[in-house]
Formats: sequence, C-alpha cells, structure tokens
Amino acid sequence: MTTFIDYLLGGFSSGAVIALFALALVLVWRSTRIVNFAQVGQAMFTTFIALAVQVATGSWILALLAGLAAGAILGLIVYALVLRPVQRLDTSGSIIATFGVLISLQALASMIWGGDPKSFAPPVANDGLEIAGRIWPISWYDILVYVVTAVLVVALTLLFTRTSLGLSMRASAFNPEVAKLSGIRVNRMLAFGWALAGVVGAVAGVLIAPTASLSPNSFDILLIFAFTAAVVGGLDSLIGAVAFGVGTGLVLALVTGYGEAGDAPIVVLILLAITLVVRPGGAFGRGKSRAV
Amino acid sequence: MLEVKQLSVSFGAVRALDAVNLVVPRGEVTAVIGANGAGKSTLMRTLAGLVKPASGSAELDGIVITGRAPEDIVRSGMALVPEGRSTIPELTVEENLHLGGLWRPSAERKATSAEIYEMFPVLAERRRMRSDTLSGGERQQLTIGSALMCDPTCLLLDEPSLGLAPLIVTQILQLVSQLAREKNLAVLLVEQNAVTALRVATTGVIMNLGHVVRVGSAEEIAADDELRDAYLGS
Ligand SMILES: Nc1ncnc2c1ncn2[C@@H]1O[C@H](COP(=O)(O)OP(=O)(O)OP(=O)(O)O)[C@@H](O)[C@H]1O
Ligand SMILES: [Mg+2]
Repeated sequence: MTTFIDYLLGGFSSGAVIALFALALVLVWRSTRIVNFAQVGQAMFTTFIALAVQVATGSWILALLAGLAAGAILGLIVYALVLRPVQRLDTSGSIIATFGVLISLQALASMIWGGDPKSFAPPVANDGLEIAGRIWPISWYDILVYVVTAVLVVALTLLFTRTSLGLSMRASAFNPEVAKLSGIRVNRMLAFGWALAGVVGAVAGVLIAPTASLSPNSFDILLIFAFTAAVVGGLDSLIGAVAFGVGTGLVLALVTGYGEAGDAPIVVLILLAITLVVRPGGAFGRGKSRAV
Repeated sequence: MLEVKQLSVSFGAVRALDAVNLVVPRGEVTAVIGANGAGKSTLMRTLAGLVKPASGSAELDGIVITGRAPEDIVRSGMALVPEGRSTIPELTVEENLHLGGLWRPSAERKATSAEIYEMFPVLAERRRMRSDTLSGGERQQLTIGSALMCDPTCLLLDEPSLGLAPLIVTQILQLVSQLAREKNLAVLLVEQNAVTALRVATTGVIMNLGHVVRVGSAEEIAADDELRDAYLGS
C-alpha cells in the first residue's frame, strides 16, 4: 500500500508540470484554434535563457522572471512571424508551421548551448521529506510546484471569467467578426493569448528543469503527454487540461512503478485513442461548444 | 449624419455596389429596401469596415471612416447590427451585452447597461443564462442592446426582422424609430419587408443590383405601386 501511495505522490509532481504544458496548449487553442506543437520547444528555449540568468546571478527568482519575460516575447514572435502569415492558409498549414518552429528552436538551442544535458539547481531542497519516521517521495520543491500550478490555474480562471480582458479574449476566439464590431482589437487579443501561453509554458519549463536535465530535446516527450491531457480534457477547458494533466502524471507513475518505464508513453497514447473514440469532444468538452 | 459618396464594391467580377450616394440624417430612420442580392448587406458591411470598398467614401459627422478597421469605426460612433442575430451562444446574456463598448469608461458603461436593462427587462431577468436560451426576438433585443453599449451616433441595422413573428417585428421597428428620435441617432435600416420598414422610416431608399434607383420620402415610396412591382416583387 505504501508503494502505491509513493507512486501516486511521485506522479503528482510530474502531473502538475504536464498540466501546465496542457494549459499552455489550451490557451493557444482558445485564442486561435491552433494546436501549438512548438509550445515545448518555446519552453525549452526560455528555460535555457532562465538557466543562463541563474548561472549569472545565482538567483532562482530572477531566472524565473527572465523565463517568464522570454516566454511572453517568444510567444509573440512565433505568433507574429509565423502564425499570422500562415493562418490565412488552412489548419494543416498552421500545424506544419508550428512543427517547423519546434525544429528550428531545437536547432538554434543546440547551436547556442550545445546538445549536452545541463542541470538546473532548484531553489529549495528536492529531497524526499521525512515524516513519521519514513522518507516520502515528496519534497519541498514538489510542494512549490503544486503551489505555483494552483496559483496559475486560479489566476487564469479569474482572468477569463471575471475581467474585461478575459471577456475580450473569449469573444475574439468564439467570433472574431462580432468581437471586432463590438470594438475589440481582435488581433491584439490573439497575440496576447500566445504571449500568455508562452508565459505558462515558460513556468512549466523552469519548474521541470530541476527534476530532469535540460537539453534541446528534453521536453519532447512532455509534448505527447500534454497534448493528450489537453485533448482528453476537451482542448477548451482550463479545468480539463489541469485535471487530465495531473491524471496523466499519475498514470505514468503507476505504469512506470508497476511495469516498465518504456511502456508509459504507449499507455498514455492508448488512453488518448480510447477517449477520441468514446468522447470526441473531450471529457470536459460539450460537443461543439466550449467550456470555461 | 452619415454621408456616403460614390461608394463602389466589387467581389471579383460582381459589382455589388456601384457608385452609391446616400445621406442618413440624425434623429430619423432611413430605410433601404430591395430584393435579394441588391447589395444591401454589402453596403452595411462596407460602412462597418468589414468589406473594403473599391472606390468612394463614407463620412460620419464629417470624418472619413472608409478604409479604417471595424474596431476603429465602431469606436468613432457607428455600430452595426449584422444580418442574422449575432450573439455569441457560449457567452451569457450579460457577457454578450458587455462586449459592446469595452473601451468606454466603466461608469458610463454601467449607466448605459442600466438603461438597456430598463428598456429590455427580459434581458435583465436572463442576464446569467447562456444567450442561446433566448428566443429570436429576445436575441434581437440583445444585439441591439450590445450595439447601444458602444454609444453610437449612427446605428446600422441589417434586416432585424428576419425570421421574427409579425407582432415582434412591429415592436422592434417601433423601438428603433423611438431610439432614433430620443437618442438623436442616424439610423440606417435595411429591410426586405418594405411595408413595415417604410412605416417607421422618414426616408426610403430603393436599391437594385448594386444601384440606388430611387430616394424619396417614406410615404411617397410606400404609395408608389409601380415601384413596388418593379423592384420589390411584393
Ligand atoms: N463575400 C462575398 N463574396 C462574393 N460575392 C458576394 C459576397 N457578398 C455578397 N456578394 C454578392 O454581392 C451581391 C449583393 O449581395 P448582398 O448580400 O449585399 O445582397 P442583399 O441585398 O443583402 O441580399 P439579401 O436580401 O439576400 O440579404 C450578390 O450578388 C452577392 O452574391
Ligand atoms: Mg442581406
């Protein structure tokens, strides 16, 4: 029984980071109806920038802030330089463009920082906590990850449901023409959606880097998990992305714990396939309509 | 006052508007009537900035609006209620209403929305419900309300009566003429239903195949049977 609990606890922290990546995918989907496969590439790139700042200043907070700023700027650049021109084509054009961005960012990162894995020091201890005479697979760092994730989810939900900016973003995504006729600067809202997604992805990157190593390809596998979580959650639902992001983390931990680590991605993909067959709109999606 | 000068629009080989001239004074309703494909919606969408004109211009109170983006045109005082009730089904009634005029100071917006809720009590009752739970007539009230949230001096209405029961049509059109008078709005009303539209309008404009073929007082046009037979097919 304690092994089972250990696996679950371990799954929660990777799940929280998957949830953040899934959130970033949902934010882009909500604002522009595009699945941004470059999201993990952008996060990898901004995490390298954060690492450079951490090495230079020794401060994790400064590194995080640099990552956030870089995430917003890179999101805007990708939107303005690649997506806006390509969007006039069609959906598959946009998808291919995001893959192009992913590959370019990875190539660029290899040229600048090299292909060797780098380590990213956590701001607080990442060792299992000792409670009741036993060491549990949960650290102060894991708790920090949970807190940051929870705060981001609550803040984003409030932004979308309680503010004029959030209302403008939702209207621009649902019906750009009606939004324009209401006086909303739709292109600005779409760009803001990409910047916001870039920020959330950057947070995910900075949070996961200390638990793994950082290399140009190290987040690739997360793309599959985050994509699964976002799609299963309904692509439009913030809550869905978070719930299934954490869920995916738990499944991964259990499969890895009781079976072979190499099987985990396959199991996740099977779950994705089943969901797409049983509920094409996603568990939190409502057919063609979209939830908050 | 809205002044349209020599406005032309082409879609490929189709000349949807051909040198249209039009004056819409404030405080009254100007009705544009014409058969399917006459170019009525194209005129409205071009004025609102959704379609780029090939040539010609439109001025709102002396300021040229053609060539500007839709979001700037509405901010300078011209609001369009497009053809087919354009509420966003996923948003609540209140959210749909509050979409309009978000750039205005919040105190002013609060005052306007209180006024609109007073004008349309059904919207106040249903404010927290999704807008697709409203009936057709209620949804039309919502789109008009949302346009009024933009505090316009000129209101463009594209077939607001489409698909509504006759009694509701009369109510909506009477409300429109009342708005024109009380708020001193320049109202340009497009209708296929000539009889009802001309009843609330001061001036009638008849369009056919992209041309303005006749402008006259509403009574004069309503009384002209020949005109009706030739262009309105009713
Ligand atoms: N986006 C477009 N692309 C190509 N042709 C268009 C477009 N919009 C309108 N047209 C053409 O322009 C002409 C005028 O159409 P418009 O919709 O303005 O007419 P209307 O008077 O509003 O008709 P209805 O009473 O059916 O609403 C028609 O021949 C139409 O086919
Ligand atoms: Mg029309």
